[in-house]
Amino acid sequence: MVAETAREFEALEAQAQTLMATFASAGHEPVAPAALQPADVYLDVIGEALRARCYVFTDPDGDEYCLRPDLTVPICRLHLERHADGAQKAKYCYNGSAFRFQPRGANAAHPREFRQCGIESIGSSDRELNDANTLAIMLEALKAAGLNDWTLRIGDLGLFRALLSAIDMPERWRERLRHQLWRPQAFREELVRLTELPAAQSSAMPEELMQALDPEDVEGAQRHVAQYLDQNHVELIGVRTLEEISRNLARIAADQRAERLPVATANLIEGYIGVNAPARAAGARVKDLMRDTGVDISPALESYHKRLQLLADLGVDVTRAEFSAEFGRSLEYYTGFVFEVSVPDLGKRSPVAGGGRYDGLMKLCGAPADVPAVGGAIHTERLLKAVRG
Amino acid sequence: MTERLQLAIPSKGRLMEQSIEVLGEGGVTVRKTGNERGYRGEIEGIDNVEVLFVSASEVAWYLKTGKAHLGITGTDLIHERMTDWETRVEIIKPLGFGHADVVVAVPDCWLDVRKVAHLDELAGSFRNAHGRWFRVATKYVNLARQFFVGHGFNDYRIVESLGATEGTPAAGTADLIVDITTTGTTLRANALRVLDDGIILKSQANLIASNAADWTPRIREAQNEINSRLGV
Repeated sequence: MVAETAREFEALEAQAQTLMATFASAGHEPVAPAALQPADVYLDVIGEALRARCYVFTDPDGDEYCLRPDLTVPICRLHLERHADGAQKAKYCYNGSAFRFQPRGANAAHPREFRQCGIESIGSSDRELNDANTLAIMLEALKAAGLNDWTLRIGDLGLFRALLSAIDMPERWRERLRHQLWRPQAFREELVRLTELPAAQSSAMPEELMQALDPEDVEGAQRHVAQYLDQNHVELIGVRTLEEISRNLARIAADQRAERLPVATANLIEGYIGVNAPARAAGARVKDLMRDTGVDISPALESYHKRLQLLADLGVDVTRAEFSAEFGRSLEYYTGFVFEVSVPDLGKRSPVAGGGRYDGLMKLCGAPADVPAVGGAIHTERLLKAVRG
Repeated sequence: MTERLQLAIPSKGRLMEQSIEVLGEGGVTVRKTGNERGYRGEIEGIDNVEVLFVSASEVAWYLKTGKAHLGITGTDLIHERMTDWETRVEIIKPLGFGHADVVVAVPDCWLDVRKVAHLDELAGSFRNAHGRWFRVATKYVNLARQFFVGHGFNDYRIVESLGATEGTPAAGTADLIVDITTTGTTLRANALRVLDDGIILKSQANLIASNAADWTPRIREAQNEINSRLGV
């Protein structure tokens, strides 16, 4: 069943035709983006989880390329080639090979080379409707291919982002938490760090110097730092300027003097992360958490409920969906709704399909501004295995 | 292939001398065969052993592919060349020489960077100021990646560097380095400092057995003889 051995070529081809027919009839234009992608652009935007699993190589001219580990970024780049500003509305579908290094060795469920079949919907700002449509079309395609028994996991990074924005804290801390959003472990550590005494944070930095620094007075900070380097015979090397180093040191010094993040607030964030519940009940659970905290994320919650309702209207059985607040944090480009379809036989570690909203990816690929976009992909070898039982 | 145990040892410099010395102290005396400049040798008193003199990094490759049954090389190269080294080789005996640390070092003037976490915090503003991610110069591409992933630091690009790595930050071709150091003198001379949590690996030379090699009973016998002489 592994594509690289091409043993199941005919069965996979037939299945792909069924999937692509469903996508095309839903208005998605079939496209075939390049398998070979320039490494620079690609590696910068995909995030670490995929980057470490990318086949990267240097061609005879010395230029770095990679074999695409998924098809979403290639589709974004294809869209940008057609429409330079990226904001043009478009719906694409595709079926093609993707390549991933498997650190624990390749096997049938985790092949190095596999075929993804999926859809992307770019440029439409009616987010909830497009989220719901995307998932509904994916499920329809799976059904057409013969898959009826599935479980659905959903998440919503929009809720998480709304929560971080609504909580009262210095902007610098918010940036740090957002930055760590993709690394659950580092995020927790950061959260603990923000509630702890400042002394624990940067004890190794020269104390006397730190005390002399004032973030409002960059020139003064620069003088202090220059003097310190001079006295300690430390040479200024590298591309970072004295100003950059001084500015950042002064910011750290300001952090040390700032109030700590209240433990109750850290607990609220932890509480949110811990929410796992059936999709409909999850909204209420989140609302309960926010009660009496003064934190208001009702627009994000309304959007969550609206999407669920739209899914139900499109005939998706939302009672089969589980919400997980943690879910979606492993793929760095997702910004909102995320989903994953699994089958009992293959287990949750090998989902047959998944996808989500990635409003920031087009800009990372070169568009002048963010472009709303959502998509989903089917792991076709796994699907074939699932429908055969 | 002949039924001879293939023992790969470093072909140059201190590593070769010390390998031969340590083996000799245990009664495993290596002798070059043929030309003094040749790359083959044998062991006194164990006739079905062939000694291969190859570069230290090639020893790792010989062990990985099974071209050699036994080999002497550093922990750093074993970890770097084999993502799943535990399944591919077995460390028979640490040999007590070739001590060195694989470390992350930054310009000493970066007073605001003491730990890996500080690099991560800084990555965004560095990119805004310089239009690119941090560049990390190293020949330990895999070790560096694994280490940084474990520390949640992701916003960097690796620049492969096969020599004079310590000079790259001052030259501006890289911002920080992952490299091997014994005394730290070279790092200091290049105005670099090891991060407080920047020790990736403490390395030394080891006698290592390959799991991929063809271990016939006769070859296994030769290994037992070597092991017993070395007191393993």
